[in-house]
Amino acid sequence: MSGPQIVLWVIALAVLALCMRRGMPQTRRAVAETNRGFWRILPMFCVALPMAAFLSELVPADIATTWLGDDSGLNGIMIAALAGGVMPGGPFVTFPLVITFSKAGAGVAQMTALLTAWSVYALHRILTWEYPVLGWRFVALRLASSFFLPVLAGLIMQILLPFFAINLAGP
Amino acid sequence: MLHALRRHASLVVIFLIAVTAGLATLQLRGAEAFMTALWHAWDLFLFIVPSLVAGLLLAAALRQLLSPDALARLMGAESGIFGLFIATLVGTLSPGGPMAAFPLVLVLAGAGADKGALVAFILAWSLNGFQKLLVYEAPLLGLDFALLRTLITFPMPMIAGWIARRVPIAWEPPK
Repeated sequence: MSGPQIVLWVIALAVLALCMRRGMPQTRRAVAETNRGFWRILPMFCVALPMAAFLSELVPADIATTWLGDDSGLNGIMIAALAGGVMPGGPFVTFPLVITFSKAGAGVAQMTALLTAWSVYALHRILTWEYPVLGWRFVALRLASSFFLPVLAGLIMQILLPFFAINLAGP
Repeated sequence: MLHALRRHASLVVIFLIAVTAGLATLQLRGAEAFMTALWHAWDLFLFIVPSLVAGLLLAAALRQLLSPDALARLMGAESGIFGLFIATLVGTLSPGGPMAAFPLVLVLAGAGADKGALVAFILAWSLNGFQKLLVYEAPLLGLDFALLRTLITFPMPMIAGWIARRVPIAWEPPK
C-alpha cells in the first residue's frame, strides 16, 4: 500500500471509531453500506478498466500533442473543457482515460480543464440527475454561475505549472 | 426502478465500448497488445481496490455522523461568505455518488439553505469531493497533481455561489 492509501485507511478507521462511540447500530449500518457500495461499483470497474486499457493501446502515441499538448495553450484548454463536459461515466472511467490522454501527449493544464469541466458541466449527470431532481431553473442558475470555471482552472494550472514537476502519464 | 435503469444504462454503454475497443485492439495491434492491455487493467484494479474499500468505508461512516439539518441553518440567504464557505466544506465532505448528493440539495433547501449555498454545495461535491480525490485522483494521477488541482479549484464553488446569489434566476425546490 502507498502512503496516501495508508492515510486514507487511518482516516476511515478513525471515523468508524467515532461511529462506534455513537453506538453499535450506526457502526453496523456503516459496514453494511460499505459492503453494498463495493458490490455495486465492482461491475463498473470490470468493464471500465479494460475499456481504458484498450483505448490506450489504440490511441497512437503523440496524437493528443497537437490539440491538447502543453503548447496548445488556451485553445487546447478550451477543447479539453468541451471534451470533459460531454464525457460520460463516473470517476472509474474518467481518471483512467486522463492517463490514456496524457500518455498520448496531452498537457497537464489541458487535463485540469478537462477534469474540471467533467465535474462542472457533466452533461450526463445533468440529464440523469440534476434536471429530474432539481428542475431546469437550478441547472440554468448553476451553469450561469460556473460555466467559466474549467477554462479558469486550466489557465491557473498553466501559470503554476513551471513551479512544479508534474507528470500524469505515470512511469 | 428508474435508479436501477440509470445505473445499468451506463454499465451497458461502457461494456459496449470496452468490447469494441477490445476487438479493435485484437485486430489492429495483435494478441500480445490485447493481453498487455488486460494485464494493465488488472494491475490498475489491484492498485485501486484498497483505496476504494477505505473510501467507501469512510463515506458510509461519515453518513452516520453528519446532520444536514443543523448545517443548513448556517447556509441561509443572509449567511454571506461564511455560509458559502460552510456549503463548500459540506459539499467537499459529502460522500457518495449523484444518487446521494442531488437529493441532499433538496434536504438542505428544505432546512433553509439559499440558492447560492446550494450551488456552492453541489459544485464542491462534484469538483472537490474527498471520495473522488482519495479513491481515484491521488492514486491514479499522483498526489502532487491531485493536491495542486484541488488547491486551484477549492475556492471556485464559493465564487460560483456568490455569483448565483446575484444571477436573476429564481429557484424554488420542486414540491
